[in-house]
Amino acid sequence: MKILEIQDLCVTYIAGEKRIKAVDHVSFAIDEGDSLGIVGESGSGKSTMAMAMLRLLDPRYTEITGAANYRGENLLTVDPRRLSELRWKDIAVVFQKSMNSLSPVHRIGEQFEDIYRVHEPKASKKEIRERVEKLFAMVNLAPRVYNLYPHELSGGMLQRTSIALSLLFHPKILIMDEATTALDVVTQGQILSEIKKLEKSIAVTRMMITHDLSVVATSCQKIIVLYAGQLMEFGYVRDVLANPRHPYTEGLVRSFPSLHGKKEELLSIPGSLPDLSNPPQGCIFAPRCPYATDQCRAHRPEPRHIDDLHVAACWRVKGGIQDA
Amino acid sequence: MEKIKKVGVRLAGMVRSSMQLRMGLIFFALVLLVVIFAPSLAPFDPYDLGDDLLVPPGTNGHWLGTTNMGQDVLSMIIYGSRASLAIGIVSALISGVIGTLLGAFAGFYGGKVDKVVSEIINIFLMIPTFFLILIIVALFGSSMINVMLVIGLTSWPSNARMMRVQAMSIKERTFVKSAISMGETKRQVLFKYIIPNGLFPIIANTTMGVAKAILTEASLSFLGLGDPNVISWGQMIYEGKQYLATGWWMSTFAGLFIMLIVMIFYMIGDGLNFALNPKMKKI
Amino acid sequence: MKKYLLKRIVTAFGIVLFVILLNYVIIRLAPGDPVRIMAGFDNPSQELMDALTKKYGLDQPLYVQFWRYITTLFKGDMGDSYLYNQPVSSLIFERVGASLLLSGVSAVLAVLIGSTLGLYAGRHHGKALDRTFSGVAYMLNAMPSFWLGIMLILIFASTLKWLPTQGMVNIRKGYTGWAYVVDVLQHMVLPCATLVAVQIPTYFRITKSSVMQVMAEEFVTTFRVTGMSERKIFNKYVLKNALLPIVTVFGINLAYVISGSTLIEIVFSWPGVGVLMYRSISMRDYNLLMGVYLLISISVAFMMIVVDLIYAWLDPRIRYD
Repeated sequence: MKILEIQDLCVTYIAGEKRIKAVDHVSFAIDEGDSLGIVGESGSGKSTMAMAMLRLLDPRYTEITGAANYRGENLLTVDPRRLSELRWKDIAVVFQKSMNSLSPVHRIGEQFEDIYRVHEPKASKKEIRERVEKLFAMVNLAPRVYNLYPHELSGGMLQRTSIALSLLFHPKILIMDEATTALDVVTQGQILSEIKKLEKSIAVTRMMITHDLSVVATSCQKIIVLYAGQLMEFGYVRDVLANPRHPYTEGLVRSFPSLHGKKEELLSIPGSLPDLSNPPQGCIFAPRCPYATDQCRAHRPEPRHIDDLHVAACWRVKGGIQDA
Repeated sequence: MEKIKKVGVRLAGMVRSSMQLRMGLIFFALVLLVVIFAPSLAPFDPYDLGDDLLVPPGTNGHWLGTTNMGQDVLSMIIYGSRASLAIGIVSALISGVIGTLLGAFAGFYGGKVDKVVSEIINIFLMIPTFFLILIIVALFGSSMINVMLVIGLTSWPSNARMMRVQAMSIKERTFVKSAISMGETKRQVLFKYIIPNGLFPIIANTTMGVAKAILTEASLSFLGLGDPNVISWGQMIYEGKQYLATGWWMSTFAGLFIMLIVMIFYMIGDGLNFALNPKMKKI
Repeated sequence: MKKYLLKRIVTAFGIVLFVILLNYVIIRLAPGDPVRIMAGFDNPSQELMDALTKKYGLDQPLYVQFWRYITTLFKGDMGDSYLYNQPVSSLIFERVGASLLLSGVSAVLAVLIGSTLGLYAGRHHGKALDRTFSGVAYMLNAMPSFWLGIMLILIFASTLKWLPTQGMVNIRKGYTGWAYVVDVLQHMVLPCATLVAVQIPTYFRITKSSVMQVMAEEFVTTFRVTGMSERKIFNKYVLKNALLPIVTVFGINLAYVISGSTLIEIVFSWPGVGVLMYRSISMRDYNLLMGVYLLISISVAFMMIVVDLIYAWLDPRIRYD
């Protein structure tokens, strides 16, 4: 059962006369209960994609086309009142900088209360507090956090607070935008295992935006690799990481020694992201690709199927079913 | 030489990126022309006491009227630009140089030096500077040199505070660390790397400082603490106040020109700031 | 908290001492005999000079002199004004009320009007009204305040004859009761309007940029994505966060509450400390001038501490240690 289907999503930032294609014709779908990792370098459009889906981008400076169908409703066009209903109750987010994701001059409990009352206006203080403390317990936070200010918590505690906040209404989809990046390795590991444990008790579909392949490897079933706003590869984590079909994915996997087993060889991909206001013709990765041919430089490859799920946008993928 | 060229290239880039800065500089150039060619631009000798006493604008070739003493207001304004600009620029420069040196010194050396300098900066920021200036000018005499010196010597703390922060961050940068490890002396590092690289925000602040100094000078003149031997716009307002009912033009035009010149420096300062952090505009 | 308070008080005390020292250095360094400056005029009688020499120990070593100067000051004795033939301290205290009234009322009006306009402009950044406000603020900020006052007199008093321009009450009418209050209010309109107008740009700019900055903060996005209404986000969360810089500026302006209106008082002959200072400058009554300066500096240092405390109470992130 598909819970979310992204179709041909394009996001263009408009800055003066410049037009920057931050997300470029991305399509994929995820099923209920999935956990999806979205990886790419900074500037690859992974956060922009999530922000666009949630309609958080300022329409004055962005242009969005395509569709993001959540259970048959296109989030990009649904009317604002319905969107407000869906927000947090159905789709919740844990942001990258949890340090700044709550107001610094209000107590945490007060902010939870206000957010709870957005969807349950009649809820009593006591009721909310009970609910929140239950969530705090789930993410290993002491009840007293309720009365504290954000600056009184450590980075790890704040991240747990953000996770508790995101679970306030049992959302169907949980988007975690670099939610563990800012933490130290130990805390990161703890939180990841807590999330996995949580998922056993509550049914949630998780999208994990990160540039850290190891996070995806240890906590996700499926993976999307983005580069310069375009989808490079999509498939099961075990397929994509073990047998990457796109040269970019290959480079990414090789640049993570812990995944590869060998520590000595830390290959990074030479070159840098292309200028998105003036992208090259042909494959967007061609200028950095060791296998690039004239065909790559002249024509952009459509995503091609390797099997039912596994897709890669590369001319070198042959023999599979070719999408039009 | 190389350094100066680099700074020049960066300035040129800033001028291109900010419309405000461009406009400000153009107006500033116009003011400079007026200052330089004042004798040929002024229709009358501003010190000349003519026969037309307190005549309204447009009478007998007095475009902006005359004072109670028969001086031509337009000519006074043209000459007055010299005093305003000189006081503004000289005192802002004094404050810029002191602020840069002290701030860079404190930020770069750190430790006790920094503690003492920071404490002085804090104290200075908490005392009413305008009244300090006023007291000193009242007791020491109100010659133009005194006014320039006093404004410059009391307004450096904001520059110093800025430069200190700059120096503290620049000294952690790789190129400074490598220069130190290559054996350059602290003094060389301070003058070759820290100050040139941290200077731009100070330049912007100093430009704003020119505007503030011009306003301070006008206020002093209005209190009767201007240099009696120099024509200044502040003094024109002060003298015109007594003739408000019969000669509104005396105060009005002088004030307008103060406002204009102050706005020009605000434009340059804001433009520089914008060119330094274009992000501010994006929000 | 206690420790923080103590530290702030020590700082304030240090600043007051510094100001006194500065004052003293200025007297010593100024051209002319310090006895003459302390007497307040150029040709004091031999008796007065002897009395002052004895009072301040001017024939003693420098540190004794300074100590005498400080202790005399702390007794509340700032010397006499030759101009009014009265102790400087009582002269100042007679006039503090009028200054406080004028600049207090203006400070409150300015913060209310300026930050309201700034809130609007920050929220509707780039729209026509924002641009108009910003342009006007730019011009007001570049004007000499006393000139604006003069222009208001020119328009509303000399030309339109709507309002009085001089003083605080109409002495000839000798109003009492309500009539007196109304009279004072009428006299206050123009000086107050001038002070408000020149203070508005600061509040406007700081509020506008603060609102814009807060609106770009991550937590606003968090609240948006929870489905909270824009109005609630703005009225509750953006507002409180944006308020802090406004409080700072307001506090600094309050610190100058006695002295901030000096120039405007002179323009409108408002019988406050400013006019006293003006007279002391024009009549070279140095003792009075120094007294006013000391009082202003002390009040500024004191108010800065009060502001710090209010700020600490508003912003939980400030630690007291």
